[in-house]
Amino acid sequence: MTQRSVTHSTFTIERHYEASPQRVFRAFADPKAKRRWFAEGEGWKVERYELDFKIGGYEGGTFRFGDGPPIRNDTWYQDIVPDQRIICAYAMTIGENRISVSLATTEFKPADTGTLLVYTEQGAFLDGHDNVAQREAGMKELLTMLEKEVGRDS
Amino acid sequence: VTADCGRSHTAVGRSIAFATFVIERTYDATLARAFKAWIDPVAKARWFGAPGEWKQIERSLDFRIGGIERLVGEFPGGRTSAFTARYLDIVPDQRIVYVYDMHLNGTFISSSLATVEFTLAGKGTHLRFTEQAAFVDGYDDNGSRERGTTLLLEQFGRYLRDSIH
Repeated sequence: MTQRSVTHSTFTIERHYEASPQRVFRAFADPKAKRRWFAEGEGWKVERYELDFKIGGYEGGTFRFGDGPPIRNDTWYQDIVPDQRIICAYAMTIGENRISVSLATTEFKPADTGTLLVYTEQGAFLDGHDNVAQREAGMKELLTMLEKEVGRDS
Repeated sequence: VTADCGRSHTAVGRSIAFATFVIERTYDATLARAFKAWIDPVAKARWFGAPGEWKQIERSLDFRIGGIERLVGEFPGGRTSAFTARYLDIVPDQRIVYVYDMHLNGTFISSSLATVEFTLAGKGTHLRFTEQAAFVDGYDDNGSRERGTTLLLEQFGRYLRDSIH
């Protein structure tokens, strides 16, 4: 029997983007754009990805890194304020093991010539399968991918 | 629709306050009985709600991963509160993780991640409730969420005590 445990942890990442809050927000709201920076990383195989961006809507995907086990993301949107705020809850599952459940808040603030993005994740890391340091590192990579996305011509 | 509703959509200054609290209690009930009192709609209706003159308007509980729980009520004077939860992790007799939103008078005030851990404590059950909350747009919780949850866990304890047969 699995030894059950929960580690609760919160982290915040701030990033500045040289694009308007509208432009950065669009990279979260548009399914094609979101898939590009969020799902299609180098070495990742996307088996399934869907996004229904509305309050109560579902986003989900199944991904594999190389020949690794299926990694599943299930996300539900709790609150959306266009160009300003997104709150969602998401669960991550690797193979048969749920590794975490998190509340993720993304704030988009106008700053000088662009946008200050503030990402706060309040996580519950389950049964020793994952930890906050790994999650924070993964999120930083994604926010770097987002930089490329908002720099695209639209 | 109240005036509060309109305000939340036109406000310029969006803000969020993050908060975490933990409440631990030990109950004189087996793991199986304590867990069942959280997941069985009939049992949960006996303890999960506001005390006093509060009037229940809507209640539903679909206990499975992805399933929704709703509890809407009205306080004397007409103030309404709505709790909407979605279950995200369930380990029978051991753990429940859910996300829930609160609306006051139709205005969204918070999203929270709630973790309920059940562990053996002698012949009883130790319950650890952890809430990680995001309060939005200047809603001043000022500790009332934790006080309300403490009250609910007292009602839960009373239910366990009174339902022994």
